[in-house]
Amino acid sequence: MKYVRPRSIAEAVRVAQEPGTVVLAGGTDLVLQMREGKIKPDCLLDLQDVPGLKEIKEVQDSLEIGSMVTFAQLGQSDLIRMNAFALWQACQTMGSPQIRQQATLGGNLGNCSPAADGIPPLLVLNAKVRLATLAGEESISLEDFLERFPLLNHGTLIMGFRLPLEGWKSGFAKLGRRRALAIARLNVAVAVKGQVSAEPVVRVALGAVGQRAFLSHSLSSALSGQAITPDWIEQAVNCAQETVRFALGERASAFYKRVAIAGVIRKALASLTLEGGKSSGN
Amino acid sequence: MEIKLFVNEKLHQINVKPEERLLDVLRDCLGLTGAKEGCGEGECGACTVIMDGQVVNSCLVLAVQAEGHSITTIEGIGNRLSPHPVQKAFVEEGAVQCGFCTPGMVLAAKALLDENPHPDKETIATAMSGNLCRCTGYDKIIRAVKRASEEVLK
Repeated sequence: MKYVRPRSIAEAVRVAQEPGTVVLAGGTDLVLQMREGKIKPDCLLDLQDVPGLKEIKEVQDSLEIGSMVTFAQLGQSDLIRMNAFALWQACQTMGSPQIRQQATLGGNLGNCSPAADGIPPLLVLNAKVRLATLAGEESISLEDFLERFPLLNHGTLIMGFRLPLEGWKSGFAKLGRRRALAIARLNVAVAVKGQVSAEPVVRVALGAVGQRAFLSHSLSSALSGQAITPDWIEQAVNCAQETVRFALGERASAFYKRVAIAGVIRKALASLTLEGGKSSGN
Repeated sequence: MEIKLFVNEKLHQINVKPEERLLDVLRDCLGLTGAKEGCGEGECGACTVIMDGQVVNSCLVLAVQAEGHSITTIEGIGNRLSPHPVQKAFVEEGAVQCGFCTPGMVLAAKALLDENPHPDKETIATAMSGNLCRCTGYDKIIRAVKRASEEVLK
């Protein structure tokens, strides 16, 4: 097995074209998969020395997050806390302190575990994914990107994420078997735009209830355009339970998750009102 | 392939395969057996080492990834004659039973105190939430870290 650390995006894209090349970001998923024999690279493409992939910055009306930014960096970033609160919250409890130091947002998407904690927040915050191929750069909404099978064509690299600063107030909650070091059994991200008392736009994304996390259009349309009141919260709970019931069908986890989702969505909605829950532009 | 690893302030030139984990290279090539394989999947923290000042699971870091970074293992932070304040506090508080989780715990505590010299108990618990212990029930470990933070004040 070869190991390569390119020093530019162009070089990385070139190396990525070689058959049998697998991209190494943080390694917290890949290293395990390699040991288990699930992935057998002929060449490991380590992105850690490629410049420009580790930055979090505000550029005009957007927040740019490089694909190699770690969960630790995100979780300690004021820019993220103020403008992408749901993502910031997810970064407090993803994995463990050790994992957060290595694991990257790009890798979280690339590995695309059903329980990935980074994906629901990015979905509700209307994120776009920046990809690089030999043909050049591509920008695609995360929601559309998640429709691709396979997610990443060979030779495609995730460069980063672009979050529009549109005034989303967001929140996140996760349920695991422990309070830390736990893979999500359920995770929920919520984002609201507009006046809470008038007719806000609402986005809800669910994770760990399907092959991939998804933006729930039924929840979003059921909850948008109404004042946020205790009744609204109950409606959210009922709708979430229906959505989970439908998503999980006959799976063994359905019984548990369609009840437990009530608590998780309540918690996610409650976290909307925490300090830092609003993004700029509101 | 030949790589250079900077461990406990020393540069080592060693020959590794790209798929070898930092944990294995530390233990088998460098004889630094303080880092333990508790689970091999990043779920227990017994393999914790400090890389560039922050804790990582050495069972999930490839040795080749670690080239160019600064690694500190438990062997690098103190010894019997001159223990690190955290090690001293662990012993004094009775925070060591079988000792298997201890190297990881001590390193996690040291990394915390290096950044936040006066953490409260909740902060300590969060900083060490990636290290599991099956013996102690955690209480004495947290007390030891608190004690170490107070010792450094003196």
